[in-house]
Amino acid sequence: MADENLFGYVKGAEPLPKGAREFYINITQRNDKGTGEYNAHDYGAEFEYGATDKLALAVEVKGMGIDTSGIVIDGYLPGPNKYSMKFAGIEASLKYNFMSAARDDFGVSLFTALNYLVVDPHSGQDKTEWALEEKLLLQKYFLDGQLIWVGNVHFEATRALRYAIDDLPPEFDWPTEPEMELEIGAGTGLSYRFAPNWFVGAELLYVQENETEVGLERWSLQGGPNIHYGGEKWWATLTWFPQIQGGGETYPGQPDDDLHLVEKTKYETRLKFGINF
Amino acid sequence: MRLTPLAIILPAGLGVAGTAHATEYLTVPQAQKELFPTADRFVDAAVELSDQQRDQIKKLSGVRQREAQQPVWRAEKQGQLLGWFIVDEVVGKHEFITYATAIAPEGKVLGVEVLVYRETYGYQVRDAKWRDQFRGKTLDDHFKLDDDITNITGATLSSRNLMNGVKRLLALAKVALEA
Repeated sequence: MADENLFGYVKGAEPLPKGAREFYINITQRNDKGTGEYNAHDYGAEFEYGATDKLALAVEVKGMGIDTSGIVIDGYLPGPNKYSMKFAGIEASLKYNFMSAARDDFGVSLFTALNYLVVDPHSGQDKTEWALEEKLLLQKYFLDGQLIWVGNVHFEATRALRYAIDDLPPEFDWPTEPEMELEIGAGTGLSYRFAPNWFVGAELLYVQENETEVGLERWSLQGGPNIHYGGEKWWATLTWFPQIQGGGETYPGQPDDDLHLVEKTKYETRLKFGINF
Repeated sequence: MRLTPLAIILPAGLGVAGTAHATEYLTVPQAQKELFPTADRFVDAAVELSDQQRDQIKKLSGVRQREAQQPVWRAEKQGQLLGWFIVDEVVGKHEFITYATAIAPEGKVLGVEVLVYRETYGYQVRDAKWRDQFRGKTLDDHFKLDDDITNITGATLSSRNLMNGVKRLLALAKVALEA
């Protein structure tokens, strides 16, 4: 099975076949930090190409929009911010398939991505960030392929540099020295084709953020249902992905202390729409 | 509620979803003519499989028999049995693939025709060269991708399920048709 985005957040192991091209857009809405107003949108436009039957290459242009007010988080969210969309960065990635879930019964691929961001995805402030991500992708078919399981394990190293901001709140900590962060995580998903072209599924993603000075800084577990339509020429996937539980650092006065709301939100929704050509 | 880009795009996407349609390459009579060109009569011989027979099919082929009913025709020439014409469906990437297999009375594949295929990739399953790989196969053969059956890039699941489907129909013929 060629590359197929049955899920919004976890990835399958099957690559695009040689010569195949796919263009897709994705929109992610992140909202509600428990205090004030927080509503952010991430936009991505990606082109993927099957270089060989095992290797797919992709480039993605990213954008972001934000509307936040009534919430300040020391060191992370300096105050109100609002814009509809601006360029946020670019990602180059490759996916190499070692074993095919259909041919070898168990699929194994390695996904590598290099990210360059110019916007902090949490505050919407300007920032320069480089991130290298490695992800192991596993996939298994059941019921002749009507039921699909995927599993992911990922590691991401990030180097970020924030810029000085005028009119910061008094005593507000906004470090402008380079920062390093290591993120590790694991995800899993199950998708079932309940009618021709239609799949329904669920996915889970655990992420923990580690920083050199404090070690484990925060963690989060997100999970939710998804629905996927796949046709001959195009496909779409919608995922509702609320945060189930989180831990680590909280911000003063945070109403839900069992969630990670410093950088993440209570709710996320992602829509992907792809065209094969 | 705030109107977000998601709220605008989703209904539009779901609306377009209803426009998918089937592409039928061969009708059943056309496929019958292709696979048994000398036959002068096709007699409806649809089978209703018992649970025990389905278990036997799974045991012989290693593939699950999804349905209890199987459309089958006896291909005859002047009253003599030429073989069995069986229409079947297997799981493709997005939709079922409809195909027909011709099986000789002694239990070997005479030919395979794809009737309906609607996937993004892998239209080579309709190529005569790919389908010819099944000709002469019996239950004793391997039926393994990239071994005795060539894999089709980008349609590995479809290739595998078609290959497994043909093997399953050989088992079905042995269990329910060869009397």
